[in-house]
Amino acid sequence: MAVQAPAAPLPRVRGAGWIGALTSTDHKRIGLNLGLCSLAFFLLGGVFALIMRSQLASPNAHVVSDYTYSELFTMHGSTMIYLFVTPMAIAMALYLVPLQIGALRVAGPRCALCGFWIWLFGGLTMQSGWLAADGAGRDGWFSYVPLSNSANTPGVGQDLWTLGVILAAVGMTIMGACVVATIARHRAPGMALLRMPVFTWTALVAVLMVVGSFPVLVVAMTLLYIERTTGANIYTGFSGAIDYQNLFWFFGHPVVYVMFFPYLGAAAEAIAVNAHRRWFGYKAFVISIMLFAALSMSVWAHHMFTTGGSTNEYFAFTSTALAVPAGIEYFDMAGTLIGGSIVLRCSMLFGLTFFVQFLIGGVTGIFVASPVLDYQANDSYMVIAHFHYTLFAGSVFGFFAGVYHWFPKITGAFLRERLGKVQLAIMIVGTNLTFFPMFILGQEGMTRRIARYPQHPGWETLNRLETIGAGLIAVGIAVFLVNVWVSLRRREPAGADPWLGHTLEWATASPPPPLNFETPLPPIRSYAPLFDLHEEAMDRAREGVSA
Amino acid sequence: MGRASAGPATWLPVTSTALISTRHEYGWVFGIYVPIAAGVFAVVCVVVLGAVLRYRRRSPVDASRVSERNGLEAGYAALLTATVAFLLYVTFTAEHRVDTVSLRQTPALTVNVIAAKWEWEFQYPRYGIVHRSGAVGRQPLVVPANRAVRFNLSSEDVIHAFWVPELQFKRDAIPGKTQEVVLAFTRLGLFRAQCAEFCGLRHSEMVFNVRVLSPAQFARWAASRGRAAL
Repeated sequence: MAVQAPAAPLPRVRGAGWIGALTSTDHKRIGLNLGLCSLAFFLLGGVFALIMRSQLASPNAHVVSDYTYSELFTMHGSTMIYLFVTPMAIAMALYLVPLQIGALRVAGPRCALCGFWIWLFGGLTMQSGWLAADGAGRDGWFSYVPLSNSANTPGVGQDLWTLGVILAAVGMTIMGACVVATIARHRAPGMALLRMPVFTWTALVAVLMVVGSFPVLVVAMTLLYIERTTGANIYTGFSGAIDYQNLFWFFGHPVVYVMFFPYLGAAAEAIAVNAHRRWFGYKAFVISIMLFAALSMSVWAHHMFTTGGSTNEYFAFTSTALAVPAGIEYFDMAGTLIGGSIVLRCSMLFGLTFFVQFLIGGVTGIFVASPVLDYQANDSYMVIAHFHYTLFAGSVFGFFAGVYHWFPKITGAFLRERLGKVQLAIMIVGTNLTFFPMFILGQEGMTRRIARYPQHPGWETLNRLETIGAGLIAVGIAVFLVNVWVSLRRREPAGADPWLGHTLEWATASPPPPLNFETPLPPIRSYAPLFDLHEEAMDRAREGVSA
Repeated sequence: MGRASAGPATWLPVTSTALISTRHEYGWVFGIYVPIAAGVFAVVCVVVLGAVLRYRRRSPVDASRVSERNGLEAGYAALLTATVAFLLYVTFTAEHRVDTVSLRQTPALTVNVIAAKWEWEFQYPRYGIVHRSGAVGRQPLVVPANRAVRFNLSSEDVIHAFWVPELQFKRDAIPGKTQEVVLAFTRLGLFRAQCAEFCGLRHSEMVFNVRVLSPAQFARWAASRGRAAL
């Protein structure tokens, strides 16, 4: 059992105001800063997407040049993956994990702060490419060699992209390691591993994958940077191209699950609390996400089925096997709902939508895990549809489930429920209007990353629907921002535990004090210690009535 | 999924057909995967919707306290595993035919496909014909129907991908190695095709058409060294 470190250095706030907020070693402040910066990058990446959708509204439009279009899809993917969905997952872990396990602080608070700044400089370095004479990175978010070497893509923009990815990955690895160490060293007395909340488990497997796979990205990108700047022959010929892809996807697939697990955890917590039941099948869930994480470290070359340089049967086997742990999670979700006492708050609705919409991404993931089917789907709009259903229709909805669930904890004020439901409705319509037609376009042969497409019957209509859908998503996000603005300006105060929460973060004030807990923790006897107390109170009330 | 795979035979791997068609194999696997996926999605939707409607607005006091059913969950995991095993059986069967057995066929024609920024060159060494498509021209890839055709794919600069949606198949052309695939077209006509791997500025223009002729028409076209009308 981990014992609380007695002489932990206090997370000092150095000075007041902006300087204090930006240099604080309080895990909540670092998590919040990381989350807010990620959200800013999300809006920027969304603007890139809207410009691309405007270009694609008709087959031969000239909203942007082919050159700008290649910068836009590169920076859209890179911004969303390196600077929004992944760091936002880590931000949620940094903020919530210490609270959920009853810790006073994060392990290595200065390291975590350093990691945040390295990541932020990475993001700014990548975006600074827009100011370079030859523009930003333009070889896609995975920038395959030999296209991304200095002969085929000369210029500073792609160098800045490469450096930005290295810095962002280093920063996230450091922050991920801090979360792992926090769980290893700072759990409160009684918080055994098998009493850790569901969100903490999902965050743990995610940061373990960060620590295990992100250094490989740093190596791959450093070698690319050396090749670009010194002319060294590192990735040469067929085997060099395949080596790069193996290194890249050894990071590039695990990161997909880093961008999934914490949002799954957020949706699960929201569903359990709003169903007034503890999360169903906890042990099976823990085993399944560990199996999920282990398997997903060994599926990377399913991105390489069409290269003729990978062992397709092996990677088809591991990728298809992911259906087993994924299916367990759906079983546990259904088990939590059935027999519950369900309240349809925004957090619950976003959580349920996460599970339903993610499933479309999930079953199409099993589809593209079959090499025979992937020979058609690879690099087509079918794949674009598939991963946007996982990342946007899935993870982003899980993120909003978490936002509506934990906003009162973080700010002490409720978000408006009615505005939240308007946002949800607009986003469901917008998301499916944007991404569902892409399945059809992909099947019919529309390839990704093209600024102009053939005048094939029906393609213009489908593309125009997608553009309208993307506009609706933007409206939905705007409603969310208005909701945050209104809720913070005219506060509806939330107490410490507004939802009858299950886990320890609800046992402290909202927002939590600098050292998280000022009163003694409740006894920790299960993965839902506060829910144990609620159940005991209900039992006492019932006995009182019968007596 | 088209003529080649219509009818009840879609549900079985047709091992008696001498010619391996990627389109046929794709249709067979697609016809099994998609109904299962749709069924799973429908079941989850019904369960979620049903549970929400049934258990809405009850008192928290009435909520069930059963927090696990490990026997049921283990049985369910076994069902999932069996499904995965079945899907893999289907996939491996088709993949073996597309990737391995196809290469054992004796091709009736060999075409060298050379990809470069941003054009396709189709060489017919036996007939002395060269066609070029993409940013430089619009000469189609011409092939006979119902014959095994060997394509030697190579690239002169960056990674391109030879994608013919009609075949439901693509293969990357990666510099440094020539990749051999043996494919068969089963329908006559003109089909669109293009580079699927982003290859730089004019990737959108790296398109080509495939003209599938009857074997007799193809023989006439080849004998005229590509001068006969298509």
